[in-house]
Amino acid sequence: MAETFNLLFCPRSDVLLVIAYTRHARQSLRNACRAHDEVVVLQAGRVALLAETEFGAFQALRLREKHDEAVRVERTEPFNEFAAVRPAVREAARRYEARDTPATPYERFAAGRDLPDPERMRDSELEL
Amino acid sequence: MSTTVRCRIGDVVRRGRALTVTAPVEPTVLARAVRAESDGDTRVTVVSDEPGPAYRYVGCIRRGMGLRTRTALAAAARSRGFETPHDTALAAARERVAALTDKSGNESTAAERERLRQAVAEASIKSERLRETVAAARGRLQARREQELDPAPAQTALAEAIERLSEAETEAAAARQRLDTVRERSRERQDRREEQFRAEDQMANLERRARAHLRDTVEDEYVTALGAVPDGGETATPFEADPVSRALAVARVADLSAPVVLACGRFETACAAADWLDTPVIRSTSPER
Repeated sequence: MAETFNLLFCPRSDVLLVIAYTRHARQSLRNACRAHDEVVVLQAGRVALLAETEFGAFQALRLREKHDEAVRVERTEPFNEFAAVRPAVREAARRYEARDTPATPYERFAAGRDLPDPERMRDSELEL
Repeated sequence: MSTTVRCRIGDVVRRGRALTVTAPVEPTVLARAVRAESDGDTRVTVVSDEPGPAYRYVGCIRRGMGLRTRTALAAAARSRGFETPHDTALAAARERVAALTDKSGNESTAAERERLRQAVAEASIKSERLRETVAAARGRLQARREQELDPAPAQTALAEAIERLSEAETEAAAARQRLDTVRERSRERQDRREEQFRAEDQMANLERRARAHLRDTVEDEYVTALGAVPDGGETATPFEADPVSRALAVARVADLSAPVVLACGRFETACAAADWLDTPVIRSTSPER
């Protein structure tokens, strides 16, 4: 699979996420990525991350123009856990990954400890 | 199975297993007539047996033709009734794809979605601008108070700005809500498409595997046939011979039943061609365009 990875050379780390939902759209996406690898941050299968430049946006828009809803475009930004989640969630991730019993599911791991309940986490949206 | 073909061009009707056409009719027009695909040309009709799966690849063999030999060879094997271990799974995959296709509900148009995105962007720009207006009005009021001037006009201005901001924010929230609803539905459709997509990929994989299997079944026959093609010339590999030779070899392997249209000059007579291919033939000797 042709994969390019040049996240480091991207002027900003925000990217456009482009997903193809039909075989035809995937072919167009692959063609666009092959022809303009300078805007491709990552491409795998029917998904591509394009640099957040006008040209990256132009390619994404062109694909959506051609394939309508069969192409989805999202704008993504780097994830900062200190801005997005409460400390308990970060703490839970750290402690769960440091567990002694690899087979324990998180639900059981959290039950006896002062850690956030997975159900509650599922229902809580992230801060913008 | 009848091997007699009836071919009418204008007022001239020919019947037989090996026909020669001298009238200036494009070979592709003849082949379309065999497939009973009228393209508005009512001069030509051909009555014959149903063309099999290989006909679309090698039903019309002419100078300058192109050929996807591997695909054609798989179709040739299919025409002979060969089966593959993937056929059951393939039939199921095809049914699944058919069942998943065309289940479109209440769809918004691309133009509607574009309008909604634009409305949200504009509403948020407007709110932002009004927030700045409110901040400026607040600053002016503060300044007037510090300068011990009459605060009333600045108070009114601030109140007005706050009201306009509040209206704009309500409007922006409503626009976002409308866009969210439509996006939600878009995502549901995309989820369905994703399922369809996976089913299509699976079907395509099975088709590829079935084709490879079918090809393997008849590849030796094909190589032998290629070696016997009249004026076939020498080639390094069987899949790199000239397209006419490859097509003739595939046609010899295939069970075509419907007449093959030939415009390739490899056979002296239609009979010789029909014997070599073991299938009915319409040989076109009309001058090239």
